[in-house]
Amino acid sequence: MLTRRGFIGTLGAAALAACGPPAPRRGAATLVFKHGKLFGDPGVLRALIDEFERAHPGVAVREETLPASSDEQHQFYAINLQAGSDAFDVLAVDIIWVAGFARAGWLRDLGALERKAFFDGPMEAVTWRDAAYAAPWFIDAGLLYYRKDLLEKYGLAPPEYWNDLVRNARAVMAREPGLHGFVWQGKQYEGLVCNALEYLHSNGGAVLAGGRVVLDSPQNREALALMADLVHRYRVTPGSVTTATEEPSRHVFGQGRAAFLRNWPYAWRLLQNPSSRVHGKVGVAELPHFPGGRSSATLGGWQLAVNAASRHQEIASSFVNFLTGEKAQKRLAIAYGFQPARVALYADAELLAAQPFLGRLERVFAAARPRPVTPQYVRVSQVLQSDFSAAISGLKTPRAALAHAQARIEEILDAG
Amino acid sequence: MQAERERPWRYLAPAAFLLAIVTAYPLAHVAWLSLERRSLLDPGPPRFTGLDNYLRLAADERFWNALGNTLYFVGASVALELVLGLAFALAVQRPFRGRAALYGVILLPWAVPTAVSARMWEWMYEAEIGVLNYLLGTQVNWLGSPAWALNAAILMDVWKSTPFVALLLVAALQGIPRELYHAAAIDGASRWTVLRRITLPLLAPVILVALIFRTIDAFRVFDSIYVLTGGGPANSTETLSIYAYKVLFQSLEFGYGSALAVSVFVLVALTAGVYVFLLRKIVQ
Amino acid sequence: MRIVALVLLAAYCLAPFLWQVVTSLKPAAELVSLPPLLPSRLTAEHYVAIFAGHPLARLIANSAIVAVGTTALALAVGALAAYAASVLRMRGRGAILGVVLAISMFPPIATVSPLFLLLNALGLRDTLAALVLTYSTFSLPLAVWLLASFFDALPRELYVAARVDGCSAFGALWRVVLPLAAPGILAAALLVFIFAWNEFLFALSFTATEASRTLPVGIALFPGLHEVPYGEIAAASVVATLPVVALAFAFQRRIVEGLTAGAVKG
Repeated sequence: MLTRRGFIGTLGAAALAACGPPAPRRGAATLVFKHGKLFGDPGVLRALIDEFERAHPGVAVREETLPASSDEQHQFYAINLQAGSDAFDVLAVDIIWVAGFARAGWLRDLGALERKAFFDGPMEAVTWRDAAYAAPWFIDAGLLYYRKDLLEKYGLAPPEYWNDLVRNARAVMAREPGLHGFVWQGKQYEGLVCNALEYLHSNGGAVLAGGRVVLDSPQNREALALMADLVHRYRVTPGSVTTATEEPSRHVFGQGRAAFLRNWPYAWRLLQNPSSRVHGKVGVAELPHFPGGRSSATLGGWQLAVNAASRHQEIASSFVNFLTGEKAQKRLAIAYGFQPARVALYADAELLAAQPFLGRLERVFAAARPRPVTPQYVRVSQVLQSDFSAAISGLKTPRAALAHAQARIEEILDAG
Repeated sequence: MQAERERPWRYLAPAAFLLAIVTAYPLAHVAWLSLERRSLLDPGPPRFTGLDNYLRLAADERFWNALGNTLYFVGASVALELVLGLAFALAVQRPFRGRAALYGVILLPWAVPTAVSARMWEWMYEAEIGVLNYLLGTQVNWLGSPAWALNAAILMDVWKSTPFVALLLVAALQGIPRELYHAAAIDGASRWTVLRRITLPLLAPVILVALIFRTIDAFRVFDSIYVLTGGGPANSTETLSIYAYKVLFQSLEFGYGSALAVSVFVLVALTAGVYVFLLRKIVQ
Repeated sequence: MRIVALVLLAAYCLAPFLWQVVTSLKPAAELVSLPPLLPSRLTAEHYVAIFAGHPLARLIANSAIVAVGTTALALAVGALAAYAASVLRMRGRGAILGVVLAISMFPPIATVSPLFLLLNALGLRDTLAALVLTYSTFSLPLAVWLLASFFDALPRELYVAARVDGCSAFGALWRVVLPLAAPGILAAALLVFIFAWNEFLFALSFTATEASRTLPVGIALFPGLHEVPYGEIAAASVVATLPVVALAFAFQRRIVEGLTAGAVKG
C-alpha cells in the first residue's frame, strides 16, 4: 500500500538526511571558504589551500561553491548573514556589495591592507568609512574588442572617441552586408549599468559626487543620448541588445557577425581559441571616450572578506591575506587567467610570459572606475537599470530617464 | 452504529502540526515585518511603523506598474490556458489508438522543471541565435522589446500550464453522460450548440477549480519570468513577485518587501474568494 | 482533420523539449550558430561532461530522496486530514479547506528568510530533512484539496458498511477508503512529486553543500563566471525531466481515472 511503503521511505530519507555534510576534521579550526564557481581546474586553488593548511597546522579549509550568478550569491549571503550565520568564514564578494555589507555590519574590518599594492579602483570600492572591509582578489574592467582584419581592410584605426567608433562601424557595415556594427550588453541587469557608466564617466559625468546625486547633468545627457542613438539613430547596434548579456554578445561577435564588441577580459581567451571563427582576427583596445574626457572602463571583480560572525576571525583574516598575497594571485593568474588585483604583478616577467594578454590590461585597470560606492548601491542600481533600459529601448528619452532616475536616487539616499 | 467514536480532530492533528510549525511562524513573521521599518542597509534598529509601508505601497509607481503587469499576465495566461485546455480536452475526448501516449505528451510541458523550461524558452526566444526567429524568418526582439516581452512570457506560461487545465477537463468530460449527447444528436443539435448548452455548463464546476489554482499560481509567478527577462526591459515584465524579490533580497528592505508579499496575498485571496462565491452559485 | 489537430497538439507540447534534446546532442562548436538547425553529427559529449564534471549522480539521488520523502509525508498527512474533512464529515470543513488553501496563496519568496531562521534553529541547516519538511508542508494544501475531493466521490455506503462491520475509523481508512481512492492518490502523488522535484528557491536557500543539493540548484551551478555551457545545460535539463515524464507515462491512465472520479463531483 502506498502509505506503508511511503512511511518506510520517509524513515529512510530521514536517516540519510541526518548524515548531512561531512564532519569537520578534529583540529584547532575548520575554515569554510564560500565562493562562486571558478572556471578552470579546481586543483590549482586546492593546492594553494593545502599549502596554507600546511603552514597552519590544525587548520583545515573547506571550499563550498555557490552558483556563479552574482544575484544568486547575493541572495544567499543576504539570507545567511542576516541570520547571523557563522557557517562560513571567508566569502568572495562582488565589488558592488562591499559597502552595503559593511554598513550592515556583516564583514570584519580587515585593518591595514597594503593599499598601495592594489589598484586604486578596487581599494576605493572596498573602503567604507576609511576602513577596508574586503581585500581585492581579482579585477575586471570593460574592454573594446574589434575585428582588426576588417579595420585594416578598410584602412580604419581603432577609435579614440565614441563618434569615431560610430563612423568606423558604419563604414564597415556599409561594405559588409549583414554585419552588426557594435554589440554590447543592454539587458536590464547589472551589466547594463556597467556599460552605461562607461559612457557617462568618459564624458566627465558621474552619478554621485561629494555625497550628492549629480546624475541629471548636461554631460550625462549627452552620453546617454549617444548610447541610445547607437540603437535608434545610427543603427550600429541591433535592437536585440536589450536582451544581450555577456555571453550572447560574445557569441555574436565570435561568430563573425559584428565589428565591435564591448566585453570583459574573459572573452579574449575564448575568442582566440583555435576553433573560434574569429581566431587571429581580434584586436583589443581601451574603450573610447568623449573629447575632453578619458577612457573609463567600469570596474568589476571579486574581493575576499571575513564574516563578522565567524568564530575564527584571526585565522580567516590570515587566509584572506594569503589568498590575496602576491604568490597566490600570481599562481591563480597563471592557471586561471585571473586578472590579479596587485599592481606589481603586471611587471612580473614570468606571469607575462604565461599570460601575455595581461600586459595590455594594466593601463585599463589603472584608469578603471568603480560604480558609485554607497551602501545603498543595490537600490540605486535597480533605478539605474530600469531607467537606462527605458532609454535604450526607446521607452523614454535620455533626458526623461535621467531626470526620473535622479529623483528616485535622491529619495533613496535621503531616506537612508 | 459506530463501534468507536470518530474523533476527527485526531486525524487533522498531523497536518495542523506541520502547518503550525512550518508556515504559521513564517507567515506571522512576514505579517509583523510588514508593519516595521526594517532595512538592513539603513542605520538604526527596526522600528514599528504601523501601516506606513502600506501607505508607501499605495504611492509607489513601481508597485502599480508591477500590479498592472501581474494583472495582465494573470488575465491573459489564465484565459488562454482555459481556452486551449478545453480545445485539447475536446480533441482527445473520443478514444483512439495511441491516446494513452498522447496523454503523456500533453503532460510533458508541465512536468519540466520551471527553471529548465524558462531557460529553454529563453534560448528559443534569443533574437540573434534563437530558433524561433530562425524558423519564422523574423527578427523579432521577443524578450528585449517592451511591447513583446510580457507577451513572450505569457506564451511560455501558457505552454507550460495548459496541460494542467487540459487534464482536469479531460477527466471531467469523461464524466458527462453519453445519453445527453445522443439525445442532442437525435434532436439535430449542431456541434456548437452541444458545446454551449451541454458541455460547458456541466464542466463549469471543474473549470472553476482549474481557474482557482491557475490564478493563484499566475499571481505568484516568479521563477519563469525572472529567468527569462529578469523583470526588464524597463520593468515591463516586472511582476509583483519579482518586485518583492528585488526589494527583499537585493535592496534588503525586509519591512517593505513583506508588505508587498502581504499585498499579493490579499489580492489572491480576494480573487479566490470571488471564484469560490461563483462556484457555489453555479453548483446550486 | 482530427488527425491534423492531434498532430499539432503533440507538436506544440513536444517542440521546445525536442529542441532541447537536439541542442544537447549538438557538438559544442555548432551550439550557437543557426543554420544548421540539426547537428551535423550527434555527440554525447555533453552528457559525458555533466556526469564527469559534476556530481550529477549525487544530485539526482538527493532530488529523488527529497521528492519521494515529500510525496510520502505530504500524502500521509494529507490523507489523514482529508479523511477528517471528507469522510468523517468534520464540522467546519469549509473553513479548514479555506485556511489550508489560503496558506498556498503566499508568495514563497517572502517566507524564505523566516523559514531559514526556523530551520537553523531546529538544527536542520544543509540537510535533506529541511527540504522534505518544507516541501511537504507547502504541498499540503494541494494534497488535502485533491484528496478531499476524491474521498467525496467515493460511495458513502462502503464506509458505513465497514463501520457497521466493526471496523474502527482508522481501519476503515486503511482498508476501505485508501484502496478505493488509489487512482486519486496517484494523481495527487504525481503532482506533489513534480513540485518537490522541480523546486528551486527553497533548495537554493537552505542547502550549502553537495550533501543536500538538489538537481535544479545543481543545474544553476553549471554556468561559470561568464561562460554558459548551453550544451551541458540542455543535457542536464533532459536528464532532469526524464524521470518525471517516465512516471507520468507509467501512471497516466490511472491518474486520469482518478481525476475523473474526483473532478466530476468537484
